[in-house]
Amino acid sequence: MTGTVQHIDWAAIAAPLALACTAVVVLLADAFAGPPRSRTRALVPAAVTVAGVVVAGAFALSSYLTYRDGGPQSTFCMEGVLEGPAPCSFVIDPLTLVFWAIVLLGVFVVALLETADVAEGRTPQGEWNFLLLCTATGAMVIAASRDLVTLLVALEVVSLPAFAMVGLRRGDRRAAEASVKFFLVSVVSTAVMLMGISLLYGATGSVFLSQMNVALAAGVEARGVAVVAALLTIVGLAFKVAAVPFHMWVPDTYVGAPIAVAAYLSVVSKAAGFVGLILVLAHGLPSLAATWSPVVAVMAALTMTVGNVLALWQQHAVRLLAWSSVAQAGYMLVPFGAVAAASPAEIGEVLSRSTGYLAVYAVINLGAFAVAAVVGTRYPAQRLTDYRGLIREEPLAGWALAFALVALAGLPPGVIGLVAKVVVFSTAAGPATWLAVVMAVNVAIGLVYYARWLMELFRPAEVSGASTYDVPNGVGVAIGMTFTAGVVFSVMPGLLLDPVLTAMGR
Amino acid sequence: MSTMNAVLLNGMVAVPAGFALLSWLMLRRERAAVGIAVLGSAVTFGWSVWLVASTRSGGLGEPGTTVDAVWLEALDIRWRLGVDGISGPLVLMSTLVFATALFSLLRHAPEAAEGGPRRTGSLAALLMLIEAGVMGSFLALDMVLFFVFFEVALIPMWFVISAWGDAHDAVARRKAATRFLVFTVTGSALMLVGFLLVRADSGTFDIVEVATSYTPSGATALAASVLVALGLAVKTPLWPLHIWLPDAHSKAPTVGSVLLAAVLLKLGTYGILRFWMPVTSPEWLLVPVVAALAVVGIVYAALACLAQTDLKRLIAYSSVGHMGFVVLGAATFTVGGVQAAVFASVAHGLITGLLFFLAGAIKDRYGTTDLARLRVLYGRVPRLAGVFAFAAMASLGLPGLAGFWGEMLAIRAAVDQAAALPEITYRWLAFIAALGVILTSAYFLALMRGMLQGGPLQPATDGVDGTVELVADTVPAEPVPARVDVAASEWVTWSPLILLTVVLGVMPGLLLTPVAEAATTFLGGLG
Repeated sequence: MTGTVQHIDWAAIAAPLALACTAVVVLLADAFAGPPRSRTRALVPAAVTVAGVVVAGAFALSSYLTYRDGGPQSTFCMEGVLEGPAPCSFVIDPLTLVFWAIVLLGVFVVALLETADVAEGRTPQGEWNFLLLCTATGAMVIAASRDLVTLLVALEVVSLPAFAMVGLRRGDRRAAEASVKFFLVSVVSTAVMLMGISLLYGATGSVFLSQMNVALAAGVEARGVAVVAALLTIVGLAFKVAAVPFHMWVPDTYVGAPIAVAAYLSVVSKAAGFVGLILVLAHGLPSLAATWSPVVAVMAALTMTVGNVLALWQQHAVRLLAWSSVAQAGYMLVPFGAVAAASPAEIGEVLSRSTGYLAVYAVINLGAFAVAAVVGTRYPAQRLTDYRGLIREEPLAGWALAFALVALAGLPPGVIGLVAKVVVFSTAAGPATWLAVVMAVNVAIGLVYYARWLMELFRPAEVSGASTYDVPNGVGVAIGMTFTAGVVFSVMPGLLLDPVLTAMGR
Repeated sequence: MSTMNAVLLNGMVAVPAGFALLSWLMLRRERAAVGIAVLGSAVTFGWSVWLVASTRSGGLGEPGTTVDAVWLEALDIRWRLGVDGISGPLVLMSTLVFATALFSLLRHAPEAAEGGPRRTGSLAALLMLIEAGVMGSFLALDMVLFFVFFEVALIPMWFVISAWGDAHDAVARRKAATRFLVFTVTGSALMLVGFLLVRADSGTFDIVEVATSYTPSGATALAASVLVALGLAVKTPLWPLHIWLPDAHSKAPTVGSVLLAAVLLKLGTYGILRFWMPVTSPEWLLVPVVAALAVVGIVYAALACLAQTDLKRLIAYSSVGHMGFVVLGAATFTVGGVQAAVFASVAHGLITGLLFFLAGAIKDRYGTTDLARLRVLYGRVPRLAGVFAFAAMASLGLPGLAGFWGEMLAIRAAVDQAAALPEITYRWLAFIAALGVILTSAYFLALMRGMLQGGPLQPATDGVDGTVELVADTVPAEPVPARVDVAASEWVTWSPLILLTVVLGVMPGLLLTPVAEAATTFLGGLG
């Protein structure tokens, strides 16, 4: 550091900054306005959140246009390095932009889903939306972070408000318990990861991923330390993505939390974990791939198998979605397990397949949770049998859920889910064929429980009219949006996957 | 010409899909929905005739004969469709069977399970959706596209079995449906892994290019071939992976059984010809192993048939045997073998389709397909019994009917196998397969002896026919239809199948010549 005032590129950080500013606005407005007097007034925080997301989206779009014309933007760079390009803490490249899109979509839908709880009046909307925007800010920052300290801080910004969101519903003991469980597991994982990061710093002499890569590629004395550190860091992030054996918190937390929060954890929070994994492994530790790739391969095989097998017995819709999201995380880990012999340049390309799958999963899974939120307004017990008659009595929600389930299973007409599976399969066939075979068997196991749920949708309800709902407008929009996106991408999968895969493959 | 071709090829998938959608939109008016689907199946059949008639012989390699567009650029997956002498006959046969199956829905809709409304409209829409998937699979020339279309038919078929299947046994019905789904998806997912390995080895998903310029050798290629074979063996099915089939075929409603046997099994056999043979080297031990499993299947199915007590299960098991002949033909890696495989596939589609229609007709009349309860049909419904005897004779391979040529040519191809294959082994396989033919005759003749001719099960006492008494319990409501012989609508449904069975039996050259041409151009260096 030269001691001068650091130059900050405000345009580059505009998108996360917009979310952070909206968070403050929501909190202050809520504090000054006092408790809402009508149901319409209670919707104001959600409306502000949605507006904030739209503004952030506009900034993200302008960042994309800048990227298209002039390449990656970076800020918070270290000045005065003697050789090579200056390492930066905040970089906007295709990886960042794709994750920003996923995060913004996720937050948009989650904010709409929470409006289903307004009628009940047990969740303070102002605080809840403030927390949502805070954690979203963290998720935006982590996608742009390129040094381990920023990455860790951003990851904590994602997690800390999420604990509170899980347990914010007044007088809900299950939610409180879920929150505590989530908190404890998360803190332990952060501690483990912090240990890994400090060792990595010790072994390579830098916290910047690019410099770490250079040091490791050139060969470091304490290679053993670096390997251990890499594994510890992976463990920390594995908690976030809910990979087996670090998944135990998932079912109870999802079931205890409000559905909107479960949707958030299964999409945005998981995405944050994956971007962390991609950054650390592909940008910082590609030269150790021969060590970490087999470990992650085993983890992927275990994750999908455990997730799918345990989902088979679930009768609770959200618990089933929880296990299914564990299994889906396993599929997303497959590309990580297939790069043991790949060159550092290839690793980035292969891991972009994970991102492609994640993007598809985000759209589809949010759709499934959106319908679960509707059904939850009448049947908080969320038994699968509560979904009977949905196709006939609530066709939009019914078909949307049916579509989401076949897409999660990876079968037509949910072609987008199937293509996403092809994308992941294609990385493993060859370098890790055994993993592809394990995945093939898992796809079939997964089918059983998705099909079981699907069948319930088409059965007539026992009491006529038991499945008619007064769908809140916000949730209706969320369902319509995710459903339409899923159908459009099924007809033209290239629309979603071509930009994601080619942009990041470069 | 090439735009014309593109319209024809894309339309072959789009027409049934479009009618499925139309029919689904009309669901509130049941009759209209069924009517539209029936019309759609007729249009699709006409379209397929037009498509095949306008196809020039010359193979798929020629420019302008296929549709080729980018579908998913990042993975190099292309929307590539085309038709030749191998897929053409299967397309025609399938569209015909679909048309007859949908027509039969007008009069003989399956009873609704669980006492709900019949919802025949939904069933018709699902069948049209299945047809779109099947057409796509027969036309696809990109491996991943084939896989995608292959999967299209699954979820609708699962619904057909689990929602309209055997009304008396909900648990078994759902179990059969789910087993069908899980087996097929496991197989097709493994097949996909195989395709991806082929691509890693050859650099393309385009099967025409793979067939002309890829010589499989090495461990990766072998693994790919094994995985593809495994996936298709589940679908075909090849012994011992057939265990999903008897339940699925016997619990499905009549139209479901007809389509499962006549059409969906052909996706497996067609896949073997189009997608397995080009990625497989006849020098591998894998090929004789597959041939041996096929022969085991022939004998096993015949023995299993002898032990069946249910008509639909018997027909289902007989399919396993017939598919054995198809696979045996393919596993000889000769033009004659491919001819045998295509011919046997088409003949099996016509004949077994007809047999399942007849089993459904018997079930409509007597409420059961339990062979212990069905006796003297010659005396009660002589015309129906006559048609059944015809179909059974065709199925056991009576010369002069379509069933004969497939089996005969498959055995001949096994004696005259490709040079790279072990001669003695194939001689033995041909010999055992011929024994299987005899066993097949045995169970069909036993069936005809018992079901069509046999006397009452119990000696008649007090002038009451024991059989009728037993049957009467299970059909309480409608005693009158039990006396009706073949109805006019049934003649309309069955006659095209009967007619073609005779025509192909008398003039096999109609089919064999184009198949031989296509096999020579597509697979190149076959013996």
